[in-house]
Amino acid sequence: MSRGRWLGAAALVALAIAPWALARHQLSILTDLLIFGLFALSLDLLMGYTGMVSFGHAAYFGLGAYGSALVLIHFGQPIPVALLAGAVLAGVTAIPVGWFSTRAKDIYFAMLTLAFAQLLYTVAYKWRDLTGGSDGIAGVPKTTLFWGGPSLASGPAFYAVVAVAVVVSLFVCRAIVASPFGRALQAIRENERRFLALGRDPRPFKLAVFVIAAVFAGLAGALFAPFRGFASPEVMFWVLSGQGLMMVITGGIGTLVGPIVGAMVFILIQEILSSYTEHWMIFTGAIFVLMVIFLPGGLVGTARRLAARA
Amino acid sequence: MSLAIVVEQLLNALALAGLLFLVSAGLSLVFGILRVVNFAHGVFYMLGAYFGFSVVATTGWFWPSLLIVPPVVGLVGAMLEASTLRFIYRRPPIYQLLLTFGIALILEESVRVLYGPTAKGVDPPPLLQGAIEIAGTLYPRYRLFLVLLGLAVGATVWLLLTRTRTGLVIRAVAQNSEMADCLGADVARVRTLVFGAACALAGLGGVAAAPMTTAYLGMGISVIVDAFVVVVIGGLGSIPGSMAGSLIVGAAQTWGAFYLPETAMVIMYAVMGAILIFRPWGLFGEEE
Amino acid sequence: MKRRQFLAATVVGGAAAAMGGPVFLRRAYAQNPIKIGLPTVLSGGNAQYGIQAKRACELFAQDIKGKGILGRPVEFIYEDTGADPATAVRKAQKLVEKDGVKFLTGTVLSSEALAVSAKCPEWKVLLMSTINGAGALTAKSYNRYFFRINTSGPMGARAISLYLAESPMKRFFALGSDYAWGRDSVQSFSTQITAAKKEVVGKDYPPVGTKDFASYIGKIKQSKAEGCYLALPGQDATIFLKQAHQFGVTREVKPIMEIVELENMKAVGDAMEGTIGSSRYPFTVDTPKNKAFVQRFFEMHKVYPDMFDGETYEGLEWLAQVITKAGGDDVEKVIEAWEDSKYDGLEGEFFMRKCDHQAVQPGFAVQAVKDPKYPHLIPKILATYPGDKVTPKCRTEDFA
Repeated sequence: MSRGRWLGAAALVALAIAPWALARHQLSILTDLLIFGLFALSLDLLMGYTGMVSFGHAAYFGLGAYGSALVLIHFGQPIPVALLAGAVLAGVTAIPVGWFSTRAKDIYFAMLTLAFAQLLYTVAYKWRDLTGGSDGIAGVPKTTLFWGGPSLASGPAFYAVVAVAVVVSLFVCRAIVASPFGRALQAIRENERRFLALGRDPRPFKLAVFVIAAVFAGLAGALFAPFRGFASPEVMFWVLSGQGLMMVITGGIGTLVGPIVGAMVFILIQEILSSYTEHWMIFTGAIFVLMVIFLPGGLVGTARRLAARA
Repeated sequence: MSLAIVVEQLLNALALAGLLFLVSAGLSLVFGILRVVNFAHGVFYMLGAYFGFSVVATTGWFWPSLLIVPPVVGLVGAMLEASTLRFIYRRPPIYQLLLTFGIALILEESVRVLYGPTAKGVDPPPLLQGAIEIAGTLYPRYRLFLVLLGLAVGATVWLLLTRTRTGLVIRAVAQNSEMADCLGADVARVRTLVFGAACALAGLGGVAAAPMTTAYLGMGISVIVDAFVVVVIGGLGSIPGSMAGSLIVGAAQTWGAFYLPETAMVIMYAVMGAILIFRPWGLFGEEE
Repeated sequence: MKRRQFLAATVVGGAAAAMGGPVFLRRAYAQNPIKIGLPTVLSGGNAQYGIQAKRACELFAQDIKGKGILGRPVEFIYEDTGADPATAVRKAQKLVEKDGVKFLTGTVLSSEALAVSAKCPEWKVLLMSTINGAGALTAKSYNRYFFRINTSGPMGARAISLYLAESPMKRFFALGSDYAWGRDSVQSFSTQITAAKKEVVGKDYPPVGTKDFASYIGKIKQSKAEGCYLALPGQDATIFLKQAHQFGVTREVKPIMEIVELENMKAVGDAMEGTIGSSRYPFTVDTPKNKAFVQRFFEMHKVYPDMFDGETYEGLEWLAQVITKAGGDDVEKVIEAWEDSKYDGLEGEFFMRKCDHQAVQPGFAVQAVKDPKYPHLIPKILATYPGDKVTPKCRTEDFA
């Protein structure tokens, strides 16, 4: 694993020097990548470690975005307050949704998460007075680091906040996964019946991880709103949930770092391809299909397997 | 509230149900028999609409498109299944699902390359143009046709599945594919056949929808969630379930849009959620 | 081990180079061009608008070939937003930060324009709307980096309301797509038609992208309206008109559209004959400048210019004049030069108001009629209203 540690350290250094090393536009892309990386990471907790596939994870990203947007636009609070608001909104909503959804299994669980997500999307779409309806909330400002603190309006400043948030989240998730709670989750993924047979109830665990995943997704959304200056129902739409699943698989399910890489690759491929050809979607789809067939472990999963073999 | 309005709304609900049935029957079959959630299903619906447009544009006739297009779309689906999906059945379901997602991307963009980004209008055939007077109101003939088409297709598929030998084999594979394999059924071929047939049904739905909604990019995305709701309510894998589900969703959307526009869709999703919690195999599905 | 690391490094390096690639290529060709970025819609149900913006740019590029603006070539960079405001902001940001664009245009949905416009003060770039109708863009959500060349939704509603004030119809239903422009437009129309002593008997807001209007058509029938005001974008309008025709409703209830588009007329066909409404730019305007434009446009694109072909061309021509007047593409100077300036457009004379950056221009009430000279219905001008009669008071959506 020491090679892994070296790579990790190198990545952290790269993230730290990015504001000086990258052009303005590239830094924006990196910020975007990190935000969606966090989104994918949160989904991996659910998918990779507990074996729960959710079609509605984007809803929590969206809730985070709206929570943060409303706090920033109407109350002008510092960014961390907005982040908290978004994450809490997502987490609190996830409690009843999770409670109901975890009563079902596998494909039915997935469908339930889709149903709830679509419900939330419809509410966001219809509740014009609060959410701006299909127009969304525009002009979300990047405020300050703390009351009376430095402004985060510049690209590098906001990037720093995002990078710190994502790195900290990654470490927290790693800690969760390595803890007894995390091991219980993996036991559930491996064989839920045996878990039950051993006298333990999987449901509280599933609910807990559902809410935790929602909180991190909400954090990602809460970062997104001030970054783009915008929140709309589209960020809750099931297509984003599907893309999240793709990011996790591309990077490597159950690796935590993998989904972050997967998100980056997923978005970068689209950015690069779209500047060469108008029909980049065909190539993205084809690459993805090939990946699913030939590289089920995703990029990181396959890389680790190859490294272990070597 | 006059009789005319009631009748009109009833017919609207039935016509919408007819279309929904055509789309969701295939989705239900693929799930029930292949255990695959086919996210690309909506795109095959779109293919049907666009190919239907091509047939009408080149021949000037609508009726042939009903016969020509579904097999073509089915063939596209079957080829895709045989070249990609076939290899990953043993994997956890998430992989199959994501594969269909990838296929959906490719197909959607291919249609844009072939046909361009603007919508293509299709005129209904002269026989089905115009409206008939029913209960004091004018009702479009084409929508009545949709009602009949939905019923006819539903009956045909159900009969095929329950009364023919092929149908028997298909149902056997659905119940226990290993056993069916031991008993001599060519499981891989059955899977390809079912997938193709499901795509053909979706394609038929597209052909039928085009004169009403035009053929446009993104029509797959807008119809797929409705189809999921139908399939969940009716029961994954059940044709009578798809019919019942289509009627329920069709009615809810029609009357909902008329009387409770703000809450119609919310109610739909709530119903879907309730079924998933309390009776996940749907109204007509089989308990697992 | 070493080989694998080498491969990994190559892939990463290659990806980084590819990301920077197109920029280097562009720099090689550029000779300090004036860049105009279009985060527009090139796919999906509203693609016809992005296509129109693009067509106008192509004709304009041809018209200024060899001369450029202030001797500098003009470069157009197109991005597809898929009619999604979040994507619009992302693409606009890329155009601004990576491509160094100072002028944005071509935003299709008003919701996209609202989102992009909100970022313009931060980016210090100018957004020129040639398509977006929502009144809020020059009212509640106004900022000085936003300029609207086109007739706005309230202006369109105003023009047709002025026309309808004279008509015998008294009862109207109003149907607007459930987003900024649709709702704004219905609101505008209701206010004005009521002020003209007529009645609005029902309003409804189908979601953007509705494919089945049967329920709405039923409501319209039930309301016994004589006319139905429609503010539906592109494809939604096409589908509605077709279905309304199938239900026989268009014979009893006159469709009145805030925008009467050639695209709809081509897609719907004869079923749309007789429809009245407002047009932001009807290609049938009978001035020498417009006739020449229509001819050039037809020669290049083999179709007649639709509303936004015209409006976008006018915007580009005016922008070019203003940049010339400002002596360069410095955004602050261009803003100053543009405010309170006049422009001799295809439809008539334009005046850019300083207070809200709305271009005051003539309003048109038109009717879709058949004309054997053309392969589709065309907008025949029923009435022309001078700019000051159809433009709302500054930064509001209200009329005097």
